[in-house]
Amino acid sequence: MLRLRGREYDADTALVMAIVNRTTDSFYDKGATWDDGPAFERVRQVVDEGADIVDIGGIKAAPGEEIDAEEEKRRVVDFVAAVRAEFPDLVISVDTWRAAVGAAVCEAGADVLNDAWGGFDPGLAEVAAQYGAALVCTHTGGVTPRTRPHRVAYDDVVRDAIDSTVAQADRAVALGVDPASAIIDPAHDFGKNTWHSLELTRRLDEMVATGRPVLVSLSNKDFVGESLDMPVGERLTGTLAATAVSAWHGAQVYRVHEAAQTRQVLDMVASIRGVRAPARTVRGLA
Amino acid sequence: MIVAAAVCPHPPLLLRELTGAQDVAAPLREACHGALAELAVAAPERVVVVGGAGSTAEHTDAPVPARAHGGHGPRVAQGGALPLSLGVARRLLEETGSALPVELRSVAHDAGDAEIAALAGGIAGRRERVGLLIMGDGSARRSAKAPGHLDERVFAFDETVHRALSEGDTGALAGLDSVLAAELMAAGRAAWQVMAAAVDLEGSAVRAELRYADDPFGVLYLVGVWTCGS
Repeated sequence: MLRLRGREYDADTALVMAIVNRTTDSFYDKGATWDDGPAFERVRQVVDEGADIVDIGGIKAAPGEEIDAEEEKRRVVDFVAAVRAEFPDLVISVDTWRAAVGAAVCEAGADVLNDAWGGFDPGLAEVAAQYGAALVCTHTGGVTPRTRPHRVAYDDVVRDAIDSTVAQADRAVALGVDPASAIIDPAHDFGKNTWHSLELTRRLDEMVATGRPVLVSLSNKDFVGESLDMPVGERLTGTLAATAVSAWHGAQVYRVHEAAQTRQVLDMVASIRGVRAPARTVRGLA
Repeated sequence: MIVAAAVCPHPPLLLRELTGAQDVAAPLREACHGALAELAVAAPERVVVVGGAGSTAEHTDAPVPARAHGGHGPRVAQGGALPLSLGVARRLLEETGSALPVELRSVAHDAGDAEIAALAGGIAGRRERVGLLIMGDGSARRSAKAPGHLDERVFAFDETVHRALSEGDTGALAGLDSVLAAELMAAGRAAWQVMAAAVDLEGSAVRAELRYADDPFGVLYLVGVWTCGS
């Protein structure tokens, strides 16, 4: 069971988390929503397209210009407050590894802290507990934020991802985070090469079997690009294929750039799994 | 004594669980429920259901064959479930809360005159008040997108049935061509003829009312009620 902003979702309900970047340099949108106007338009659009959650981020994942906590707050806190004012029911997530930023966005109305760097700042889980927020616990193999993987190796990457994320989630729960709001994420591409990310996708059912809600962030990533030899901008088909497999395995939250297409894939897989009625069936039944 | 007869079609999509999130057959199902309510007004002591199937037989109660058409629930071998026409009838009776004893009879889709007369003879002339529930569909070839594609001959055929059911014309139903009906995929021919023959045997006057006639998916659905009395 997953609980976000006081709402409960059973294990068969898949949620779309749409990415909204407040950055100048993220790999996919390259600053398209840096200004408030386009950023708000993006939120309205993804909500229309069926997004359940928006994930607002002020720092791109890859190495780049140094962004300190004050600048990160300037980029996201007021925006979170404005989104909260316009969308009182929308689940708002913020992508940050810093406890100080986490506290500020929770004050502004955020519901989820997406700790994409695997507990680098142990204070973030305490903030989540303090504000009753959900926490996304990711696997990075212990790397420093905003570094790229270089010759990374695991005895068993799936085991490592499970052990790391479940330990973070257990710690968060011990600190007071709602067990239904302690989410785990294998973090494709983070501290991993393409082989590692493919194996995590193939064996995602093992993460689901832990009983913690599983989030996957697959959207347009390098493991898709390398698998298909496709540049950024031509990875949607591969992303959706990975989405379908993850949905089949039971992942519950999908952090994505393309909300409408993801919603369709999740609905289709849910119908195949037999947990969602098709919209309208007449063929052969008239 | 036959006191009334309700006529309903039997597409699988009358089983609510088969149509997905949208209830595409809601108006049709509502019309069927209305016909059954009208049947109940005639105060029958027993409902005799007649519906087309692979062979002519009397059936004991068995599961509705929803799973075979894709629904959820326990898998029942088709031999262990009711034929579709009787299954849909069973469901309609359940939905309308009928508590009357029910007799379930199938008639072979290709039944000839003698077979139909014999079946009608077993239904007509009883001392108890009998309500008939006649399950039958019109042709399934009414457009290029219909299950059987378009066959221009359907319009004259369906018009004959439409008029006969509207007017209580047993002769017109008796005169339907079984070969043509099969070619047009009109699954109601044999059952309608059983009704016509049984009503004729009793010789009482018929007051007919057609409550629904439409082909939203290329199959003609007809819902009507015949009230019988001297």
